[in-house]
Amino acid sequence: MAKHVVAQQDEIPVGGRKIVRVAGREIGIFNIDGAFYALKNVCPHQGARVCLGRLVGTALPSNVYEYSYGREGQILRCPWHEWEYDIATGEALFDPNVKIVSYPITLDGDDIVVTVGSP
Amino acid sequence: MEATAARPANEPEPRIALRAIDVDLHQHIASWQQVAPYAPEGLRHRLERPGGPPLARHGFKIIGPRFGQAPRPINAHGHAGHPAADPAWVKAEYLDKYGVDLAILTGPVLSLGVQPNHDMAATIATAINNWTLATWVRPFSCYKGSILVAHQDPLQAVAEIDRLGDDPGMVQVLMGSASETPLGRRQYHPIYEACVRHNLPLALHIGGEGAGMSPPATAVGHPTTHFEWYASLPQVYMAHMMSMVTEGVFERFPALKIVLCEGGIFWLPHIMWRFDKNWKAQRSETPWVKEPPSSYILRHFYHTTYPLEASSQSELAELLEIVEGQRTLLFSSNYPNWELGDPFTMIEGLPNQLRQRVLVDNALALYGQRLLPEE
Repeated sequence: MAKHVVAQQDEIPVGGRKIVRVAGREIGIFNIDGAFYALKNVCPHQGARVCLGRLVGTALPSNVYEYSYGREGQILRCPWHEWEYDIATGEALFDPNVKIVSYPITLDGDDIVVTVGSP
Repeated sequence: MEATAARPANEPEPRIALRAIDVDLHQHIASWQQVAPYAPEGLRHRLERPGGPPLARHGFKIIGPRFGQAPRPINAHGHAGHPAADPAWVKAEYLDKYGVDLAILTGPVLSLGVQPNHDMAATIATAINNWTLATWVRPFSCYKGSILVAHQDPLQAVAEIDRLGDDPGMVQVLMGSASETPLGRRQYHPIYEACVRHNLPLALHIGGEGAGMSPPATAVGHPTTHFEWYASLPQVYMAHMMSMVTEGVFERFPALKIVLCEGGIFWLPHIMWRFDKNWKAQRSETPWVKEPPSSYILRHFYHTTYPLEASSQSELAELLEIVEGQRTLLFSSNYPNWELGDPFTMIEGLPNQLRQRVLVDNALALYGQRLLPEE
């Protein structure tokens, strides 16, 4: 496991993202309400660069004919087939077993540090 | 335990093993004058007329013999009569000779839900239900009835279900699949609520497509011939199935079970795959659809063997695995309409380990105690 400084905090404002290249893979760094998340830029479906997708909200699970829109900015939609992922966990909303690879992230002063294994 | 050991008092007598349960037998109305006395008084006179009540039809008619190899009664003048008009004769010549112990009656009118006169349709439903109970079900323990309803007026349909829902002679609710609109739409939900309230499955049956207030029988317009019409009818079931899943019918009524009569099964894998695939991306449009659509389909829909699409035994086995046929497939004869062949020949390709389930066990599991003759 190796730690990599991938960005400074002020580079990625709330709602922003940065695509970085670390140890042979692309990783998307997201800032959701001040918390940082790191997801591999590969959709588990067909390999699209998922971290380039739209940041959106979604219709929350609800009763029949009721609509509850929420989680604005916390959901990543893959640009190829519009699958929805929870950025905080990497899990697809339709099935938590379908998951984008995610990496532990820590802060060291202004540094955003991502821990990755060998590629 | 010794064979002579006394049974606990609450345990029923062991039954003779059933050989087959037929979930789709069409009893025939030989004369509306026989049915009219069972109609509510207000519109009874419309049933008493020589031609019977007004019934919009689709205008298609099969070429050639409609009854295939089905047995026919021959009268004193040597003329063949209708094979499903007399319950005693049907029992003797079909059920007993073919080894069928129980049959669920699905009736002679499958276009009721698209008749333009709501009150006339509700009257016909009530009359047929009363007539069926009085002349087929009460006198013969081998017959069970369906509560026929005209769903274009959901309130009257619900009233009919509530009127007969606890009658031990009735084992399901029956609607024609011909419909003004897809059956998932919310105006029909009170009907499903009533089915669940009385613990009754809901059977749908093709037949009225294109008649009366029905849209054309295909999504692109009216078919030209009976041949084209009949072969294309599974798309009606596809549309209703997708409507019921997306509109959340099974989220609102988790106990509801649907029997699709005479629809075949080969189209199901296509729908299940495509439906699941699209749901992954588009689930947020119907956020109450919380599971892959195919899981609702497998849990809530049952299918019948007539007409079981012929194929090789290995293909059939694979297909039945996909649609969980060991649980969801029910034997049906569609008697007396055997224009596509003998219903027993039709199931010869069933894997051996499925025969008992399809012929008996699945129907017992679905309909429960109501299906068994009263002690």
